[in-house]
Amino acid sequence: MKDPYEVLGVPQGASDSEIKKAYRELAKKYHPDNYNDSPLADLAEEKMKEVNEAYDYIMNSRKNGAGTDSSGYTSYNSYSNTSSHYSNVRIMIQQNRLDEAERILDSETGEHSAEWYFLRGMCYFRRGWAQQAVQYFQRACQMEPNNMEYRQALENMTRQQGFGYGGYNTGNMNGGSECGVCDICTGVMCMDCLCRGCGGC
Amino acid sequence: MFGYIKIQKSELLVREYEAYKSVYCGLCRQMGRDYSRLSRLILSYDCTFYAIFLMSLRRSCKEFERKCCRFNPLKKCSYCKAEDDSLSKSAALSVILAYYKLIDDIADSGFFKRTACKIVRPIFMRWRKKAALRYPELDRLSAEMTEAQKLAEQDINCPLDKAADPTAAMLSSVMSLEAENDAQKRIYGQIGYGLGRFIYFADAADDCEKDQKSESFNPFVGIDDRKSVIKNNMSQALAMTYDAYNLLDLVDFKGIIDNIITKGLPTVQNEILKKI
Repeated sequence: MKDPYEVLGVPQGASDSEIKKAYRELAKKYHPDNYNDSPLADLAEEKMKEVNEAYDYIMNSRKNGAGTDSSGYTSYNSYSNTSSHYSNVRIMIQQNRLDEAERILDSETGEHSAEWYFLRGMCYFRRGWAQQAVQYFQRACQMEPNNMEYRQALENMTRQQGFGYGGYNTGNMNGGSECGVCDICTGVMCMDCLCRGCGGC
Repeated sequence: MFGYIKIQKSELLVREYEAYKSVYCGLCRQMGRDYSRLSRLILSYDCTFYAIFLMSLRRSCKEFERKCCRFNPLKKCSYCKAEDDSLSKSAALSVILAYYKLIDDIADSGFFKRTACKIVRPIFMRWRKKAALRYPELDRLSAEMTEAQKLAEQDINCPLDKAADPTAAMLSSVMSLEAENDAQKRIYGQIGYGLGRFIYFADAADDCEKDQKSESFNPFVGIDDRKSVIKNNMSQALAMTYDAYNLLDLVDFKGIIDNIITKGLPTVQNEILKKI
């Protein structure tokens, strides 16, 4: 199989939305409607298939490993390719196999490395155990203050915590529902006006 | 029938325009080397396109160099250098097509032009022979085209498509020469066919008035609503080229070729239609 990124014409580090955009453009280009009755219809179809496969491949592999857009942990993902002692654990975390990852991490005895704390914190974070996660991230940062990966994870956590526990979601949801109510009210009022206006006419 | 495959300069990036110019100059110099200094005068945009297309397909243009222009010693030009025979092949196509065009002109021109053409014919003949030695298939295809064209034009009621077929088929075969497999052959072939058809229609539309007066063959003479017939057919030819072109994954010179196919050619078409 050809390099799926090459097929879509995007760099490896492209975000999900960039990939989607490239995919849409190519899909439009090779769309069977453009090749109605064309002698090259079969070749266009092959191209279309290639593009579809590349897109599916990238999206599936990213879904398992959390895409750059959907996850706040871009740095975490970008580091996941670096060879490390815990590369298998990183993969498990990416694939959300947290039980397995924790079992491996917990089975280790003796002095733990900064990376161990970081990954352990990540397991917690993925479970939504933010408090635990922060502590582990802080520990990792203390041990290796210059490690960007750990620092970003911690910053991300503290930023989220600035909104209160799980502040992102509740805040948005409250705002959303309020807006919705407002919209409905104004909508109803407008409709009322219109109806009256119509009736008046 | 030369000079229809043009860029639209205003839409090109500066670096793309410079690359285009350096291919033009590179081809010019190649013609001077392979044939004679005089042969540089028959350099055309169409063959420049052919050169760019070849180099893009083969990925063979790796460097540019700056040197003085032969025609203007004060000017420094940049020349592209091909790793293979892309420029030589394009130069050969130039002189071969020029020769057959000359033969065509001798056949259907007035006295003065015919005499002039006859005078230069030996020179063109010499170039063509030299080119044919190296690229016999280009010469054969061009000769076949001239022959088929003559046959088609004998029938005064020759349908449009049949009249355009020799040129289109020639360019289609010339393009297909580059193919490495069947799929490529079909794609290149269709690009060439569409382009050839486009060039033929463009040329015929340009000469329409003139041919009407001199009662020479022209597929558009005597057609009602000529303008829309020309427009539809040229657009169709372009669409054909475009569909096939979309199936290619070019990298080198892609911006320039995109520009030619999606902007340059439609502009040429509009200019021609404006005159009608």
